[in-house]
Amino acid sequence: MKSFIGIDIGSLASKVVLLNEGKLVDYRVERSTFDFKRVGNNLFNDILEKNNLNKGDVFIMSTGYGRNTIDIADDRITEITAHARGVQYFFPEAHSVIDIGGQDSKAILISKKTGNVMDFQMNDKCAAGTGRFLEVMAHALEVPIEEIGELALNSNQPSAISSTCTVFAESEVISLFARGTSKHDIAAGIHKSIARRVAGMSKRIGVAPLLVFCGGVAKNIAVKKFLEEELGYEIVIPDHPQLTGAIGAALIAQEHNGN
Amino acid sequence: MENLEFLLEYYTSLKEKKEEGKKVIAFISHDNIPEELIDAAGFIPLRMMFAGNDELMDASHDFLPPSTCSFAQSCIGAFSIKPNNLKFLDLIDYIIISNHCVSDICASEIISKYYNIPQLKFYVSYTKTENSLKYFKLELNDLRDKLEELKGSAIETQDLMNSIVKYNNFKRKLSELSALIIPGSQKLKQFQRAILTGPDYLPELEDFLHTQKNTQINEKGKPILLTGCSIFINDYLNDLIEEGGGDIVFFDTWVGFNYYSQIFDDDLINSSIDPIDLLVERFKNNLFGDHSVPNFLKTKISQIEEFYKNYRNTSGKKVGVINHIIKFCDHMSIMSSHLKKQLQEKGIQVLNLERDYSRANKGQLSTRIEAFLEMM
Repeated sequence: MKSFIGIDIGSLASKVVLLNEGKLVDYRVERSTFDFKRVGNNLFNDILEKNNLNKGDVFIMSTGYGRNTIDIADDRITEITAHARGVQYFFPEAHSVIDIGGQDSKAILISKKTGNVMDFQMNDKCAAGTGRFLEVMAHALEVPIEEIGELALNSNQPSAISSTCTVFAESEVISLFARGTSKHDIAAGIHKSIARRVAGMSKRIGVAPLLVFCGGVAKNIAVKKFLEEELGYEIVIPDHPQLTGAIGAALIAQEHNGN
Repeated sequence: MENLEFLLEYYTSLKEKKEEGKKVIAFISHDNIPEELIDAAGFIPLRMMFAGNDELMDASHDFLPPSTCSFAQSCIGAFSIKPNNLKFLDLIDYIIISNHCVSDICASEIISKYYNIPQLKFYVSYTKTENSLKYFKLELNDLRDKLEELKGSAIETQDLMNSIVKYNNFKRKLSELSALIIPGSQKLKQFQRAILTGPDYLPELEDFLHTQKNTQINEKGKPILLTGCSIFINDYLNDLIEEGGGDIVFFDTWVGFNYYSQIFDDDLINSSIDPIDLLVERFKNNLFGDHSVPNFLKTKISQIEEFYKNYRNTSGKKVGVINHIIKFCDHMSIMSSHLKKQLQEKGIQVLNLERDYSRANKGQLSTRIEAFLEMM
């Protein structure tokens, strides 16, 4: 067997990748709905069809929050192990990972000797410091989610968003509006708040360069900038930051199958 | 027999004892409540050792903000809702207010005030100095006086000694249970039921030990030492650990080692020491209680390290440590990073698992547990 499929069902986005002989051949990304199984199956069937493959031709490894809903999967693995493996596809020397997804954020430490996970830290069920937090804030600022990062970079005086709770932070944003604070200063404050929270969590497990930033939120340039400020060094982002979990799952599937 | 059936049976037996004139003395604090004194008075100690859920925690918010200890929230919620499986809460005559931690005191006081349960007070020192031991003895005698007042007669010294011996033998059996090589879920169920019921559970416990003593179930899961907060009755945490591929081989928690390890040597029991002084001696030696200062962390780490080495020597396997932290338990939470760091320096892998009792949390909890097991 030469083809391996990684299916990463996140709370906000579902990702499917096809790997052939260890190389990324094709991928799909779609918003997760309440029906994880349907979204995962649709993406899987589509990628198979476009690549002239049958289910029997591939080994499937699921990961992510909805990994257990994918009953076509041959095996499952947590997104923590998957991301740690996936970032090494892009950066073999990676030592640490920060993954900010839709519902959670994680910091992962990778053993330089074995490439395996040495330690990790996850946020709890609170949405602060996650993609969902950014979505809520973008809504409060009435800007598209894709533009909130750029908006934040235009600020010279980020507002102080002290709250670590999404609901309270939204109230803070509204009160900043009431005081006449500009949108870009508020946006910068929001990004700094995420960066502070995630950097604090990451420092607790001792992250260090080379640190790879992945997950959907890695597409946001302001989060990267403020994270670098908080950590005090440069961090790197892979070409497909949203796909590292799915790629890691497919790579682990390949390794488990002796390839 | 599932927990519901067990708890309903417990209710029936408690009700029968009450009808015989016995009083039910409940308490939330665990480590240092002298249950032997309650037993010697002819009363029934009832430990609040029930896990919460969303409904119980929500129900407590009439009295507490959500950002307080999830266990304390759940205890109050249990009195507020009184679900069918906890209907024996109606049978409680007194509640002991004690300072295992601030949340325990607050929750006990709220329960006493709003659910009209009279209080008995028993405060302990966190240190083990000479003065602390004198104070502990004063508190013991004070509680004895109060219990005697309720009883209407003295607690005879011999009755107290008999209770001490009874609990001592009971704890020895729990120690045997701990040593069995059986799945953690089976051990946990026995621990929970035994500690809730007390020495009356001894015949069932002995039956269980007898049927299991030659059993050597090969541990299929990855071995886990659980430390931190206990897994209480009705909690789903152990299921998540076993579903994820783990198996708790040692319960370094109050439901487990921290309870059954508090025993007396036969030599001490057979000496002419006053039983109250025996209880003081136990308090003095309770170094594993998570509120013992100043050396709690040091003792805890050396104990875990010892188990880790012994287990590795006998089974050839490495044990992973799950430090279970109930949300907003400041004491456990603040100490957790120190505990983890110091154990990691000794090459022991640790997962600090902070959580509350809500069902919404299960997905993330599973991910953390499974990722830790994958890491092992």
